[in-house]
Amino acid sequence: MDACIEQRIDSPLKKGFIVALAFLLTSSTLTAAGESVGKLLGDESDGSRATPLHLIPLFAEDENGEKGEQIEPDVGFPMPFSTRFTCGDCHSYKIIGEGWHFNYIDPNVVPGRPGEPWIYFDSKLGIQIPLSYRPWLGTFRPDDIGLSVFQFTKIFGRHMPGGGPGEVESDDIDDIGRQFVSGKLEINCLACHNAHYGQDMGGDGGYAVQVTRENFRWAATASCEFADVTGSAAKMLETYDPFMPDPDERDAPRVTYQKEEFNENDEVLFQIIREMPDDRCYYCHSDLYYCRAEETEKWISDEDVHLTAGLKCVDCHRNGIDHNIIRGYEQEAGISLNPLAATSSCEGCHLPKGEGEPQAGRLGAPVPTHPGIPPIHFDKLSCTACHSGPWPVSETVLTKTSRAHRLGTPNVNKAEEALPHIVSPVFAKQSGISVAYMGRLLVMEGGKISPYKVMWPAYWGTLENDSVTPVEVGIVEKVVGGVFADLEFPATGDWPEITKEKIAEALMILGDKAVYVAGGVLYKIDNSGELVEEVGHIAAAPYMWPIAHNVRPAAQSLGVRRCEDCHSTDAPFFFGEVAVDSPVALERPSKKKMVEFQDINPFYAWVFAFSFVFRPWLKVIALACSAVLAGVLLLYALKALGCVARFLVEKE
Amino acid sequence: MFRNLSILVFVVTVGGVFLHWIAAPCKGCRWNPIKKVVHLFTLLLFEQKLSLVGAIKKLIYLVALFCFVVLAVTGFYPLLIKGEHISGYLMMIHATFAPIFILCLAFLAVAWASSYRFNKSDWPWLRNILRWVTSLKIPVSESIEPSSQLFEKTGFWLIVFLALPLILSIIVSMFSIFGTAGQEFLLAAHRWTALVFAVVAIIHTYLVIRVQLKR
Repeated sequence: MDACIEQRIDSPLKKGFIVALAFLLTSSTLTAAGESVGKLLGDESDGSRATPLHLIPLFAEDENGEKGEQIEPDVGFPMPFSTRFTCGDCHSYKIIGEGWHFNYIDPNVVPGRPGEPWIYFDSKLGIQIPLSYRPWLGTFRPDDIGLSVFQFTKIFGRHMPGGGPGEVESDDIDDIGRQFVSGKLEINCLACHNAHYGQDMGGDGGYAVQVTRENFRWAATASCEFADVTGSAAKMLETYDPFMPDPDERDAPRVTYQKEEFNENDEVLFQIIREMPDDRCYYCHSDLYYCRAEETEKWISDEDVHLTAGLKCVDCHRNGIDHNIIRGYEQEAGISLNPLAATSSCEGCHLPKGEGEPQAGRLGAPVPTHPGIPPIHFDKLSCTACHSGPWPVSETVLTKTSRAHRLGTPNVNKAEEALPHIVSPVFAKQSGISVAYMGRLLVMEGGKISPYKVMWPAYWGTLENDSVTPVEVGIVEKVVGGVFADLEFPATGDWPEITKEKIAEALMILGDKAVYVAGGVLYKIDNSGELVEEVGHIAAAPYMWPIAHNVRPAAQSLGVRRCEDCHSTDAPFFFGEVAVDSPVALERPSKKKMVEFQDINPFYAWVFAFSFVFRPWLKVIALACSAVLAGVLLLYALKALGCVARFLVEKE
Repeated sequence: MFRNLSILVFVVTVGGVFLHWIAAPCKGCRWNPIKKVVHLFTLLLFEQKLSLVGAIKKLIYLVALFCFVVLAVTGFYPLLIKGEHISGYLMMIHATFAPIFILCLAFLAVAWASSYRFNKSDWPWLRNILRWVTSLKIPVSESIEPSSQLFEKTGFWLIVFLALPLILSIIVSMFSIFGTAGQEFLLAAHRWTALVFAVVAIIHTYLVIRVQLKR
């Protein structure tokens, strides 16, 4: 065999071929040893669970949108670092940008279960409208109300981790110049992955403030612990060139780096971690329920039971380099490309199925026994119905969220009545979702009752073919702003007292087909010039999104005390009142029963609940009668035994 | 499986009863069965010269029979016809009639147990077998009851016996004792017991009618 090989390599041509082959093999082997083809250093784990050191140089974006020079903190007016070119050196920025937190601008992404919208509100115009780039039924695209991607980013970017619309080049002529000054709102990797206590998202000079100042390019830099940003791009003219900063321009955005944080190679040590602390999630995902006044304080109310048990948000909401994070709902596995989607929902961890390796007890999840709960409940209710959100009381409570009420940012209106108005918990039947995806029709099962947050849209629109299209905010401002100018606006940030006369006046000016939607009612002017109200129009339907957290412990779940937690004629679960929020003064307060959201006949629900009054009687009668039947059986069995005994002794 | 098996069992039971009625008609029913049935219902429904206890027994038997029909229909209709579990108004009707049925059943068990006792005349075939197997001179029974009475008695005791798991399987599930797996077992036990109970009750009722008609 050896001789055979030696014979073959005698020829010079063959020698050359083998050398080339050997080179190719060697180089490909070396690549495989370092990184897989097309993957960057940080895209793929080498297996170590230790946190990699992030002592790295910072790079800015140049005026052409390409990678600029390395940042030196003590040279002139340093530029803010670009995460695309700093973090992107080792982590595929493009792949990350397709993750759930950034891909909502992409119409090809499966929207999944409806989630929390961005809520645009203006009490002076009577507007409170749910927005989303995802095609969630009941939401509107920001451009439907005239918000460009630039404007949308400026308003809501405070609670975005960057990317998405923040990186889309606007085609609005007014925005192009502004976008050049502001730059792109790149993905702020630090918003989630920086474990340093100095990470500033909502401080006076932090990320949120920079976004509202249109300092998009500077926002991520301003959020980190070793840089300060002053000035405002919003105050600069569109002709201002941020790459040629003018030292005399006092309002121009400017970065000051803490030089002591840089080493001799101008590298900085970031405290980057894969499994970020819950605080990072809380910045955008906090909820405040006005159940009892004292419970609005953090030190009085409890956190999610999973967190108090020692888990972190990211223990369940996991993702790989694609940042395709698990949302955690029951039907997600059908549409998610995340391989852990099926095993990271409530059932996935607590009630694992399948015949493969046993999965029970993952993350220490106890397997619930649900003693005394008829299995029909698991067909009719989601896990969250009994285990999540605030304990239901006789009426829904006003609820605030980070994203809707910009919690955690400077000068937040802390009044309970501050807009936008969200109420919860509303126990409603979720609808099934069907989506076309990659040539398949995916149907996500629905029909279970779950707790929801609810908002009642209020907006101006035009009615055509029974479909309502919102009027752009700019137009509304010009028309309705004048009509509502003399209204008194409460300091709490609540709705003003809008009268039907004012609505009629505004509708007359807006045009023939103009309508106003508020509090589940559609207002329009009929042919005789009178204001008419249409209740139940689909355009006036409330927008609802599920409550998943906080999860209460099993001992605080609905039904743990007795069936009457839900099955009584005054149980909030069926007969609690849902506040119907409306800017129209005469419509307040308006209420609906919870059962109206559950696709259940209210009379049936009441009769069924009332029947539980007799449940103890049924138990007593059944047990007593069973005792009688058992007694009869026993008595006659003994008699029969006596007969047999007599027969055997031949007395008979 | 339960659905298909239940349908089969009910078809076989009702078909069997019908065939038996045709193949072995009771005396006097042969030529005028409708008249006999009318007569039976007259006996059941109209005022009779009965003692107070007798009248109460008859009344309770009628109530129990009616409750059984309601329970069987509400319990099996959604499962067999619609292919879904009992719920909604049917569930409420089922749960309303169940305690009445149980009360009636307990009363009838006490009232009828004595008259449904087995005696040696119920087992002539046992004596015959024993005589044939052992060649002993076992005396032949003086009075031999018709076999329908044996089945009627057996039916009665089966009903009383099956009522216990039927009742307890659902009542125990109302207490916080069994978890989901236990609950599912109890519901399955209730379903299967109900099926057997229903079949026995149908046959027993048929036999009672036959005996009444004969009398």
